[in-house]
Amino acid sequence: MSYLKGFLVTFRQIFQKRVTTPYPSQKRAKPERLHGRHVLGRYEDGMEKCIGCELCAGVCPANCIYVRGADNPIENPVSPGERYGFVYEINYLRCIHCDLCVEACPTGAITESKMFEFSFTNRNDAIYTREELLVDSESGKPKQLPWEDWREGEDLNTSGWLRATSPNGDASYEGQIAWSGDLGYGIRKAEIGQSDTETLEEEQ
Amino acid sequence: MVESSLQTGYVKHAPGFVENEGPKLITSRFKHADSFTLDKYLSTGGYEGLKSSLNRSPGQVHDEVREASLLGRGGAGFPAGIKWGFPPEGVWPRYLVVNGDESEIGTYKDRLLMERDPHQLIEGVLIACYALGLSQAFLYVRGEMALAQERIALALDEAYEAGYIGKNILDTKFSVDVVMHWGAGAYIVGEETALIESLEGKRGMPRLKPPYFPAAIGLYGKPTIVNNVETLSNLPWILNNGASAYKGFGSESSPGTRMFAISGHVKRPGVYEVEHGVTTFRELFYGDNFCRGIRDDNELKMFIPGGGSAPWFFQEQLDLPLEASAVGAAGSMLGSGAMVVMDETTDAVKACLSVVRFFARESCGKCSPCREGTTWEEKILQRILDGDGRPSDIDLLLDIGDNISPGPYPAAAFSDEGLDAVPFPPSQTTICPLGPSSVAPIVSAIRRFRNEFDSLITRRDPIPLSLEVEKVVT
Amino acid sequence: MTDITSAETAVSITVDGKKVTAKPGELLIDACERNGTYIPRFCHHSRMQPVGMCRMCLVEIDTGRGPALQPSCMIECSNEMVVDTQSKKTIKAQEGVLEFLLINHPLDCPICDKGGECPLQDQTMAFGPGESRFIEEKRTYRKPIPVNENVFLDRERCVLCDRCTRFADQVAGDSLIHFIDRGNKTQVNTYPDQPFSSYFSGNTVQICPVGALTAAPFRFKARPWDLTEVESTSTFDSVGNRISVQESRDRVLRFTGVDSDSVNWGWLTDKERFIFEAYSNENRLSGPLTTNEVAEGSQKHAVATSWSEAYEKFVKAINETTPERIAVIGGSRLTNEAQYIWSKIAKGIIGTDNVDAQLDDGFSPEVLLSLNPSTIDKTCKPGGVIILLGADPKEELGALYLRLRHAILQDQCKLIELTPTKTGLSQLATHSIRVPPGKTLEAVKALSGEPSELEDDILKELTKVQKIIKNNDSISVLLGRTSLAETSSIVEEGAIKLQEYLPKASFLPLLRRGNINGAIDMGLSPGLLPGRCDLEEGSDKLQNYWPTCPTHKGFKTKEMFEAATDGQIDVLILLAADPIMDFPDSQLVQEALDRIETVIAVDIFATDSVLQADIVLAAATATEIEGSFTNLEGRISPIRKSVTPPGTARPDWMIALDLVQYLVPNLGPSTFKELCEEISLVSGIHKDFDFSKVEQIDKEGVVLNRGKNKTQTSLIKIPKQKANSFRLVVTRSMYDKGVLSAHSSALKGLAPGSRIKANPKDMEKLGITSDSTVRLIGLKGEIQTRLTPDPETTRGTIHALWNQDGPDIRKLIDSSLPVNDLKIEKI
Repeated sequence: MSYLKGFLVTFRQIFQKRVTTPYPSQKRAKPERLHGRHVLGRYEDGMEKCIGCELCAGVCPANCIYVRGADNPIENPVSPGERYGFVYEINYLRCIHCDLCVEACPTGAITESKMFEFSFTNRNDAIYTREELLVDSESGKPKQLPWEDWREGEDLNTSGWLRATSPNGDASYEGQIAWSGDLGYGIRKAEIGQSDTETLEEEQ
Repeated sequence: MVESSLQTGYVKHAPGFVENEGPKLITSRFKHADSFTLDKYLSTGGYEGLKSSLNRSPGQVHDEVREASLLGRGGAGFPAGIKWGFPPEGVWPRYLVVNGDESEIGTYKDRLLMERDPHQLIEGVLIACYALGLSQAFLYVRGEMALAQERIALALDEAYEAGYIGKNILDTKFSVDVVMHWGAGAYIVGEETALIESLEGKRGMPRLKPPYFPAAIGLYGKPTIVNNVETLSNLPWILNNGASAYKGFGSESSPGTRMFAISGHVKRPGVYEVEHGVTTFRELFYGDNFCRGIRDDNELKMFIPGGGSAPWFFQEQLDLPLEASAVGAAGSMLGSGAMVVMDETTDAVKACLSVVRFFARESCGKCSPCREGTTWEEKILQRILDGDGRPSDIDLLLDIGDNISPGPYPAAAFSDEGLDAVPFPPSQTTICPLGPSSVAPIVSAIRRFRNEFDSLITRRDPIPLSLEVEKVVT
Repeated sequence: MTDITSAETAVSITVDGKKVTAKPGELLIDACERNGTYIPRFCHHSRMQPVGMCRMCLVEIDTGRGPALQPSCMIECSNEMVVDTQSKKTIKAQEGVLEFLLINHPLDCPICDKGGECPLQDQTMAFGPGESRFIEEKRTYRKPIPVNENVFLDRERCVLCDRCTRFADQVAGDSLIHFIDRGNKTQVNTYPDQPFSSYFSGNTVQICPVGALTAAPFRFKARPWDLTEVESTSTFDSVGNRISVQESRDRVLRFTGVDSDSVNWGWLTDKERFIFEAYSNENRLSGPLTTNEVAEGSQKHAVATSWSEAYEKFVKAINETTPERIAVIGGSRLTNEAQYIWSKIAKGIIGTDNVDAQLDDGFSPEVLLSLNPSTIDKTCKPGGVIILLGADPKEELGALYLRLRHAILQDQCKLIELTPTKTGLSQLATHSIRVPPGKTLEAVKALSGEPSELEDDILKELTKVQKIIKNNDSISVLLGRTSLAETSSIVEEGAIKLQEYLPKASFLPLLRRGNINGAIDMGLSPGLLPGRCDLEEGSDKLQNYWPTCPTHKGFKTKEMFEAATDGQIDVLILLAADPIMDFPDSQLVQEALDRIETVIAVDIFATDSVLQADIVLAAATATEIEGSFTNLEGRISPIRKSVTPPGTARPDWMIALDLVQYLVPNLGPSTFKELCEEISLVSGIHKDFDFSKVEQIDKEGVVLNRGKNKTQTSLIKIPKQKANSFRLVVTRSMYDKGVLSAHSSALKGLAPGSRIKANPKDMEKLGITSDSTVRLIGLKGEIQTRLTPDPETTRGTIHALWNQDGPDIRKLIDSSLPVNDLKIEKI
C-alpha cells in the first residue's frame, strides 16, 4: 500500500479549497490598482479631459503613445480651454503598463482599467485610437471593443487618479478625493494612507 | 478762453492755505484774492528779482543761489545750486523742466503756488534760465490741476505780452521760451526721468540711471535740469534780498522756509509756510500758530512725515526738528513736506492698505517687483481685513517687501520692543522708488502694530495633516 | 560680437572670484555669459537696446562703493568691477523676481506652445524659489487675441519684458504694439482696430520669453520636444538668412531665425518664416508627368509617368533638335551643386549658351561682375554712406532692410536714396531724392559734377549729397531694379558711372531671387561658365570634364522669347521658373510658349508655366535636400535636409545627374561627392571650397573671393516722355500672388491687392477722381482700372504693384522698350 503514500499529497489537496480558476470562462477579481488598458476620461458635462499636451507621450518609456493637439473649435469645443487632443493613439504591442503616462497627465485624463487581455489578429488593431480609448459620454464606462472580453465589474474603478503623488506634492490635498469631478464613474473610497472626505467633514 | 475761465474760476481764498504768524517768503501774496494777476504781482515787487539778476552776470546769479544753499523741495532735498552745475560742459542745447506733477499722497503745496502765484514761479524759471544760459523751459503741470493750468496759461500769456518772456527780455540779449505741458494723470510722472519720457510724448515710465541722469542725458537726450515748483518759487526772493538774508531764516543746514501740507486728524489742517529746520513736529501739530492739536483732543497714534512714501513716525518722534538730515536718521523723510496725522481711532491695517493701494494703482508697470509686488501686498492686506488672513501672511508681507527693497527697511525706533531706527533711504530692486515706497506703511505698521494684524488674522486651525491628526484624535 | 579684444582697451572684471576680461562698454550680462556665467534674464536681448524692465538679472556689483544689487543688463563693464552672481542677496533677489513674475502667470504650460522651450520654465527651474506663496486669484484676460493674421497674443502669460514692443519699435520700425493701462493691469496690445501689420511680426514670437505670443502656423501643431531641428539657409530670397528648420514626423512645422552676425542677426521676415507651409502643401508635384499623347491636337493633358520614361523623353526631345535651338531658363531655386550640373548639361553636354537664370528682372551679369564687390557688413559699416539706386529693400529683401535700418539709426550711417518711388527707408534717409523713372544715369552724372538734364530742385539736393560723399571714405551702393517696366540698363549705366566717379565705392546688387548669385557663379547665364569666367577663358579648364562648350554668347531670357516667337527655339527647359507669372511681358511669353515644340519643366508646383509643359520633373525643395547656397554677398552657407520629398520627387542635382547618364553614359560625375569635387576643380572661385563638407560651415558662412572684370556697355537711348503721357513704374511688394505664398495658408491672404497710384495733382488735371474708371493704354495692351491718388507718387508717373490681384499690369509692359509710357483715357 505504500504506493498510496505517494498519493497522500494529492488526496490532501483534493479536499482543499481550489486556488486556481478556470480561466477564461471564469475570471478572478483584480486588485484595485491593476494596470490594464487605458481609458481617456471625460468631465461630468461630457467634455474630454485630454488637452493634447503630449506629456504622456513625452514620458512614455516605450514610446507607444502618439498625440497631436489642435485648436479647440469655439462653436463646439471638445475639451475645456484652447487645445484638445486631436489624435490620441496607444500601441499596445509596445505598452508596458508602467502608468507613467497617468502620473504625467496634468488633467487626469488618462487612467487605466483592469482589462489586460489583448488579442489581435493584425498589428493595426493593437493601436487603440482616441475614439476607442474614450469612455462612454453617457455612462463614463470604457467602451468595449469587439475583441475585448470585459466581465462584470472590470469596468469599475477606471477613472480617478492613480498617482503616487498628490497634485503639486501638496499635503493639503490629503483627503480631497480628486477624482470626484469627472463623469462620476468609478469614484472610490480613500485608500490606505489617505483620510476620507466624509470623515474629514464629520470631524469638522 | 483764459479770460472767461478767469471769471468763473475766481477763488477768493486759496483753499487749504492757512494764514499764520511767521516769515512769508513765497506765500506773501496768497492773502490777495487777485494774487495771480500780473498787475498784483508787479505791485507787490514782482519781477524785481529778474531785473536784479539781469544786472548781474549769469555766473553771479548762480553763485548767489549756491550761496543760499537752497535745497530742492521735491523730496530728495538736493541743493539746487549744485544740481545746476552738473550738465557736462559744451553740450547744448540744455533744458529746464519744472516738475509740477505734484501727486504724492497728502501733498498740495505746489498746486497752491501755481494757482495763487504763477508769476512768482515764472520769474523763478526765468532766473534759473538766465543763470544756466538756457533758452527753453518746460512747465509740466499735473493733469488733474485744471485751475493751476488755467492760471499758469494766463500768466504766461501776460508775461509774454509784457515782455518778461520771449525774445530780448527787458531789452537785454536774454531770450527764453516757456512752454506749459500738462500730464495725463500719473503719479509716477513726478519721478523726473518718467516726467521727461512723458514730456517727450512717450509712456511715463522711469529711465534707468545710469546712464540717464537727466542733468547729463535728459529731455531729447540733452542735459536737463529738473526743479520742483517750490524750489524755483524761492528764487525771486533770494535774488531780491540776497543769499545772506535768506540764510537768516531756518537752520544752518536747511536755510529758508518750507511749505508743509498737513492733513488728517488735526484741528486746523492746511498748508503752512514754516521756517526750515527750526520748528519741530510737535510745534506744528500742537502749536497755536499751526495746527492747534489733534481733533477731539485725541491721542496721536502715528503720522506720515513726508508723503505716502515716507515710513511712519509716532509719539516718540514728535520732537524732531523739521530738517531732512534729522528726519532721515530717525528712519523716515521729509520728502515733499506732506504730513498726514492719524489719531488713536485710526485702524493701522486700513491706513496701511489705503497707502499701499495708492502705490499699487499708480505703479507704471515697468519693473516686475513693483508691478506685481504692490498689487500682491494690497491683496494680502485686503484679505486680512476681510478676515481671511493666515498667520503666515505677516511674514509674507515683510518678505515681499524685502524682495522689493532688500535689506532692513527704514523705520522709526520702537523702544518698547528694543528696535533701533533704520535710517533712510531704502534699497531697491526697482528702477525708481515707487515700489519700495509701498513697503513703508507695511513695515511701519507691522513693526508697531503687529497686534492689530494678529487680531484680524483668523485663528483657523490649519488643514490637518492626516496621519498625525488621526493619531492625536485617537 | 566676438571680435578680438585688444589688450590696451580691455577691462578686467571679477566674476564670482574669477578674473575675466571684458570689452569696454560691453554690458555686464554679455561679458559674464561670454565667460561662462549665465545670468538669468527676460527683457535683455543682445540685438536690442537694454531696458532693465524684468529685474531678473540683478546681481551684486561692487564698483568700489560696496556691493549693491544692480541689473547686469544695464551696467557697462568698468575696470576692477567685482561681481557676485551667487551671493545670498543675489539669489534672494532673483528668486523674488521670479516669484513675482509667476504669481500672475497662468501656468497653463501643458497647452502652451512654448512649454518645453520656455525661458520662464527653464529659469524657474534653475533660479526660482520652488514654491509659490500666492493664494489669491490670478489676473485673467481673454485668452489669445489675434494681433494680426498670424500672431496671437495671450496677455495672461505675458511677463511684460518689452521685447516684442521694443522689436516693433526699434528693429522693425512698426511701433504698432505697445503697453496700455498701468500697474498690475499693464498689458501689451495693439492700438484699437489697428492690427500689428508688420512684415516682421513673426520675430516677436521667436523672442517672446514666454508663450504670450504664438504663431498661427505652429499653434498646437507639436510640442517643442517632438521637433528635430537642422540649421539651414533660407532659400527664399537672396539674403540667405540662416534658419533652423524644425520637423516632426517628416513634416516641417516651423522655421526660426538663427542669429548670424554677418547676415540676419536672427531676424526673418514673416514671408520667410511661414513659407514652409507651402512646402508641405498637398498640391506639391510628387512625381514626373508627361502629356498624354493620345489626345493630340486637343487640349494637352498631363498624366503621371515613370522617371525613366520622362528621362527618355527628355533625351529624345534634345536629340531631335540642334543645340542653338534649345534654351534653358531659371535655376535660382536650385542649390549651387544642382546649378553646376545643370550648367554642365546645358553648356557642356547639349552645347547651348541660351541659358539664363534671370527672368529679365535682374541685371546683366557682365555689369555685376565689373563692380566692386561688397558685403552686408561692409555696407552697414558704422558712419558710412549708403546710396540706394533702386528697389525697396523693405519689400524685396526684408532681413537686409532690418540691417540697413539698424545701420542708419544706431551706427550713424547716412542713406542717400535716388529712387523713382518712396521706399520703406525714405523716412530715415538723409536725402531721399525722387529721380524720375529712367533718369538714374542723369542723377549720377549730376552727382559726379557733369551736366545733366534734371530739374533744378533735384540738382540742388544732389549738390548737398555731393558734399556728404566727398567727406566719407566708406561708400556703398545698393543697386536693385527701380521698376519692372523699364530696362535694367537704366540702373546698370548709373552704377557703372558711379563706379567711375567713386572708384573706392563697393556695390551690393539686390538681385532678390533665391540663389540667383549661385546661378551666376555656376554659369547659368549667357556668355558665362562656372567660376564667373567668359566662354573663352573658361573652356580650357573645362575641356577634361565637359564634352563640348559653346563658342559664342547665347540669348538672354528676353531674347530667347523673342527668338521663340520667330520659331527659332524648339526645346525650352524651365528650371523652377514660371515666366508666365514672373516675366514682365506676359504676352511675349505666351506667344513664345505656344510656338515652342517641347517645354520641359523641373518644379515643385504646377505653376501656370508648368501646366503648359510637355515633360514635368518633380523636384524636391529646400527642406528636402542637402547642398549649399550663395547669397548676394557671395557667402556660401549650407542647406540641410530635414524631411523627405513627397512621392518620388527628387532633388534637382539627382535629376540632373540622372540626365547626364542618359545623355552621355559613363560621363561623370555620377555621385554627389564626385559632383562636389568637380566643381572645385573646374571653378576658379570655388577652388578652395569643399562642397562635400558644407555642413561643417558655421552660421556665418564663407564669403567667396570673387574678382571683377572690366566691362563695356553701350548707352541706351531713353526716349523723352511725351506731354500728357505717364511713365509706368512697377515695383514689388512683400506679399504677392507668388506660387509659394499662394500655397501657404499664413501668407495667401496678405497680398495688398492691386492699387494703381497716381499723383492727385495729375489726376486733378485730367479730371479724374478715385471713383472714376479709366483706361490705361500701353503700346501692347490696355487695362481698365481706377486710380488711387497718392501724393508720394512722382508727377507724370503711374505706380503699380507687381503680381497682385486685379487688373493685369503686365499687359501694359512691352519689354522691347527701355521705358513704358502710358496714356490715360477717361471712360
